[in-house]
Amino acid sequence: MEQSLWGRGPVIGFVIKRLLYNIPVLLGVALITMLLFNVASGDPVSIKLGKAAKESQRKALAKQMGLDKPLVAQYGDFLVQTVTLDFGESWNDNTPVRKIFLRGVGPTLSLSIPAFFTGAILSIALALLVAYHRGGWLDRFMTMAAIAGISISSLVYILVLQWLLADQLKLFPIWGYEYGWGALRFIALPLLIWVLLSVGQDLRYFRTVALEEIGRDYVRTARSKGLSENRILFKHVLRNCSIPIITRLVITVPFLITGSFLLEIFFGIPGLGSTLYTAIQNSDFPVIKAFTMLGTVMFVLFNILSDVLYAYFDPRIRLS
Amino acid sequence: MSSEGALLESAQEAGELELEVRGPWQEAWRRFKKDRFAMFFLMVFGTFFLLALSAQVVELVQGDEATYAKSLAELGLDFPESHAPPTSRAFPLALFGLDWSGRSVLLRVYHGCKVAFLVGTFGGILSVLIGMTLGLLAGFFGGWVDGLVVYIYSTVASIPYLLLMLAFAFILKQGGFATAYRESFLANYVSLGLFNIILVIGMTSWVSLCRLVRAETMKVRELDFVQAARSLGFGQFRILFKHVLPNVFHLVIISFSLTFVIAIKTEVILTFLGVGVDKEPSWGSMIAIAKNELMRGIWWPLAAAGGMLFILTLSINYVGDALRDALDPKLKD
Repeated sequence: MEQSLWGRGPVIGFVIKRLLYNIPVLLGVALITMLLFNVASGDPVSIKLGKAAKESQRKALAKQMGLDKPLVAQYGDFLVQTVTLDFGESWNDNTPVRKIFLRGVGPTLSLSIPAFFTGAILSIALALLVAYHRGGWLDRFMTMAAIAGISISSLVYILVLQWLLADQLKLFPIWGYEYGWGALRFIALPLLIWVLLSVGQDLRYFRTVALEEIGRDYVRTARSKGLSENRILFKHVLRNCSIPIITRLVITVPFLITGSFLLEIFFGIPGLGSTLYTAIQNSDFPVIKAFTMLGTVMFVLFNILSDVLYAYFDPRIRLS
Repeated sequence: MSSEGALLESAQEAGELELEVRGPWQEAWRRFKKDRFAMFFLMVFGTFFLLALSAQVVELVQGDEATYAKSLAELGLDFPESHAPPTSRAFPLALFGLDWSGRSVLLRVYHGCKVAFLVGTFGGILSVLIGMTLGLLAGFFGGWVDGLVVYIYSTVASIPYLLLMLAFAFILKQGGFATAYRESFLANYVSLGLFNIILVIGMTSWVSLCRLVRAETMKVRELDFVQAARSLGFGQFRILFKHVLPNVFHLVIISFSLTFVIAIKTEVILTFLGVGVDKEPSWGSMIAIAKNELMRGIWWPLAAAGGMLFILTLSINYVGDALRDALDPKLKD
């Protein structure tokens, strides 16, 4: 039994169990989304056609969109769309939603993936540093800086840094994007801002995690054995901290898809964030619905992954 | 007075005995007071609260538009000059400069306080009420109630926060709900955009509190004093509200301070995205407009709105941290 703790069987079983458990959750999300857009929005047909449309046009469109069916059938339609990942066409320019989505993924990931890794490494390193100097001036300064940092609205951050570094000092381009390696020039400043924002948030959490570990018995034992503080910190503490750190990081992965929302709008990166923004401006229902569902599916999947990793790194936890 | 009492008193006077009995709330307040920064930021918060309250009173007395018309008259501007920089005029209302249509930036940030507090307070109260009630019911009754609540919050929590908020705010702005609201009596006091934000925050940010309260209630439910109350034959709801609730209430207060900040920040972002406040002057709308102004060197509306937002958020963040340390000393280690 002990052998199979991280054997293949339990993992696959656990993943399947969690997937099954999340099916009702996804059904619920689909229900909320369907009710929001098909019912609570009032009248999707006139939102698409405008108020002046003729009755015959309205009827035809309602039929085409399946809005004349009973709610249960509309719900069924939406579920089929979700499962087949085919969310129809954008109301804006009739491009298939799937195409819009695929078009945006590249630019989004070109910003979010480097930002994610840079931010994570920097906050972990800083957290260990301040935990090492706990109680000292560096620790107090960083704690204050982090609390001040998260108190500044992200919009203000973006506006001011864009104005200062791109407009005034001309260190970066203000706006635009280029596919391929040329993207580097354009993502540099948004990346910098992203890292600044995420370090402010993560540093506080990672510091708490590190301090919690440092207070444990095994650290005292290691000290009493005469191990150097460095060795204790990097060999023992970091390893034990890795569990909460990794789970927190994995949970943020789905947000890499939507996370750069504001940055993409401000810097004109044609990613998913910009796409969603345009969709909201144009009341483009199919695109917003697709975003909500896909975002949720990603979130659920990465939650399961995070649980599996949690158990992988911490043998005390059994998958059940 | 009995002789015992007198004896006690004399002992206390002599400083031999300390018999001051403090309740948990007094104890927490004592711990809170020790943090001088926290006290300072609490006073900052109080000042903002008074500003917001007075702005609300001013608006109720003279109405929105009147405020600005009057301010312009006081400035002595027949044709208000747009984008006058700060202190270019000797009038106190032009201290922070004028905005694009010649309105006093100082007055606009002042009225923005009101929006921030309305959103923070009512968004926070709504979210805390939902989270607390569901958490208490789930933790206390268990069984199918618990199953249902856990299902509801897992579902809500599965939708990425920003997407959920955007979808809600977007829908509330459209169609049926908006029309119904405009006809209701509330519309005379709170604009649709503002009401929407309060609703969106309340509906979307209750999950973490619900989880905490549920877990804590499950623990408290098994404690001796609850069993004792049961054996005395008290009703379920009496036990729930009189005995369990006070023991989880510190979580509610901590969560309220967190939600308050989230609400204020959310207002800014939603307003910027065009699904938030549109009628009243708010920090969010000032920052949204500043997007196009900053590149032209017009920095004062952004500085004023961003500065106010920063000071208020910082003070709540700090007070919130101190509150958590004071109310839940276990967490501090």
